[in-house]
Amino acid sequence: MSDALDGLRQEVREWLAVHAPKDWRAHSTSEAAFLAMQRSWFATLVKGGYAMPHWPEGWPGGGRSLAEQKVIYEEFARADTPRLLLSFMSTYHAASTLFEWGSAEQQQRYIPRILEGEIWCQGFSEPGAGSDLAALRTRAERKGDVYVVNGQKLWSTMGQFADQCLLLVRTSNEGVKQAGLTYLLLDLKAPGVTARPIHQIHGDEEFAEIFLDNVEIPVANRLGEEGQGWAVAQSTLSSERGLTLLELSARMRGAMWRIADMIRTQRRADDAGILRDLGKLASKIDATCAVADQFLANRIAGLELVGDASIVKLAYSRTLRDFTALGLRIGGLDAQYHAPITFGGGMETGNWMADFMNSYAWTIAGGSDEVQRNIIAERLLGMPREPKSWTVKESAA
Amino acid sequence: MSMTRSELQDAAAKAFDGDLPPDAAQSWTLITDMGWLMMAVPEDQGGLGLGREAVGVIHQALGRTLVAGPTIAQMLVIEALSGTAQDELLGRAMAGEVMTASLADGLTAMPDADRASHLLFIEPERIALLPTQGRGLTARATWDKTRRLFDVDAGEQQGIVLARGEAAVALGNRLSALRSLALAADSLGGADAALRMTIDYLETRRQFGRPLALFQALKHRVADMKTALVAAEALFWARADDPDADAISMGAMKAHAAGVYRLIAEEAIQLHGGIGLTMEHPCHLFLKRATLNAALGGDADHWEEAAGRRMLAA
Repeated sequence: MSDALDGLRQEVREWLAVHAPKDWRAHSTSEAAFLAMQRSWFATLVKGGYAMPHWPEGWPGGGRSLAEQKVIYEEFARADTPRLLLSFMSTYHAASTLFEWGSAEQQQRYIPRILEGEIWCQGFSEPGAGSDLAALRTRAERKGDVYVVNGQKLWSTMGQFADQCLLLVRTSNEGVKQAGLTYLLLDLKAPGVTARPIHQIHGDEEFAEIFLDNVEIPVANRLGEEGQGWAVAQSTLSSERGLTLLELSARMRGAMWRIADMIRTQRRADDAGILRDLGKLASKIDATCAVADQFLANRIAGLELVGDASIVKLAYSRTLRDFTALGLRIGGLDAQYHAPITFGGGMETGNWMADFMNSYAWTIAGGSDEVQRNIIAERLLGMPREPKSWTVKESAA
Repeated sequence: MSMTRSELQDAAAKAFDGDLPPDAAQSWTLITDMGWLMMAVPEDQGGLGLGREAVGVIHQALGRTLVAGPTIAQMLVIEALSGTAQDELLGRAMAGEVMTASLADGLTAMPDADRASHLLFIEPERIALLPTQGRGLTARATWDKTRRLFDVDAGEQQGIVLARGEAAVALGNRLSALRSLALAADSLGGADAALRMTIDYLETRRQFGRPLALFQALKHRVADMKTALVAAEALFWARADDPDADAISMGAMKAHAAGVYRLIAEEAIQLHGGIGLTMEHPCHLFLKRATLNAALGGDADHWEEAAGRRMLAA
């Protein structure tokens, strides 16, 4: 078993030595360059068979065990390759949901196109439905063999570059709010769709808002039954199996040299206070790596508990904030002078003010820290849940 | 490995599940009867060969119920003896004859020195086992009543030299790493117990007509404590399983674990409210042991600076 994994590790390492892009951050100075690099790196990975190790047996590059996937991701982090940001939703969220809920015909229609580079995004969140996703209001009305959809979606990762969208809509207001949801596959080139990038505080545009104005979606593009959307969406949201945070933690550990370099350059290597902060952060990052590693080991062994994933995410997001904050602090005034960002450069580019602001993506997106804390307290530790309802007293005036 | 970690944990948890803290004399008998002192010792020297795995499990169990006694110091003596030809002394130490060692530097902070036959004297280039008899002892009462520490007069240096020169440096580093590992384990066991106790209290205590556990402000603090604890435990086992982890990386890990223990012990008192300020409630025992653990074996300032310095040298 472990011999086979060592063999795989060697094989991936040798492949990366030949194929991993060099100096890619230096070239990623524009959106166009970022998109070109993402597309070519994805195509290279598909050809090499490493783009979708998590896909089921029988699909190209698929059938890898979780232990094998872990080896592949560890080696990617070690080689500091670009992360697959543009195609992440396609290979994980879209593919996993299609494998679980799609008909054979739907799978044959969409999956091969993902391999060819078709980009998917997720249309779940809305202006009034963030942490409380099930409160979403984008309305789909059935007319013959199409749904007519009206509403607005928010925080669709890479939505402005996407071809297809995993869309969660409301088809009914009867019963509990989850019961009225339906899951559709939307072609973003359809009439009535407008996708606009969201300008983030550090200058990048990794998310989009999507406006839907009388958009017609064929009933044949529905996943699951009408009213089953919440269950289908759970597959989408759980499609990522813990590898991302393992990889990101390892990348953060690997980027500690950026802080160490600054300290040396500033001739502060004998400043005990700085050394302590560095040593303390290193332990915290090592603990984050260890907890991500342990989570995956437990998952492989079938020992994962509900809520464990929230611990991994909360540990990572808080530690990433600490990491970027220390870089920003040691960077001093230099870090306050504006420097162009690296598009898709990852969480640790050494442009400290940008990295620090970008770290909020991890404390807010994908279930905010506050939602993770609720899950840990209520589901892992079994503390009582919030009362379901509350009322505001009418003011006397 | 003849026993898995979880089997060890189950056995250790069953041994101590009563009073908080349990009676010191009974605890020592239990620890020796169960063979815990010989668990880490290699099989060819009469031990069970379970290494750091056993050290971790045992000290977590002792920390969880705040067990009193000199177990950490005893294990340091046993570790120092197990690399030598002193089989007879090693056998006596493994059987429970108290032999102590400093949990700080020099001849200070030696647990239970008043009932120890020998003490380990660690100097930079010489490590020796000295008889305790005839030496002046000064009891140093700590706020933490679960430990009994003594300062010892140097007096006559006659004793058995266990290592000199480079061998002493290497053994000293090994002992430092082991001490950090044990203190970290004790801290994580205590942190786990204090957190569980706090959650139980929040679920029981009612104010404003509802259990405190319903308040999200409190739940979120508990979730942060749990996350810090699980991450520190993962780091602990990663270092315990790493044969290359040396004194500095173990020390930094111990600093992290003791920091988490202190955070949880402080929060435990705050979340218990008034009852947490009383001697009759065990909350304060965790806080006192947490702060003592943080100060013993090199504090966070020491180890984090050392870890940072090494990182810059790399």
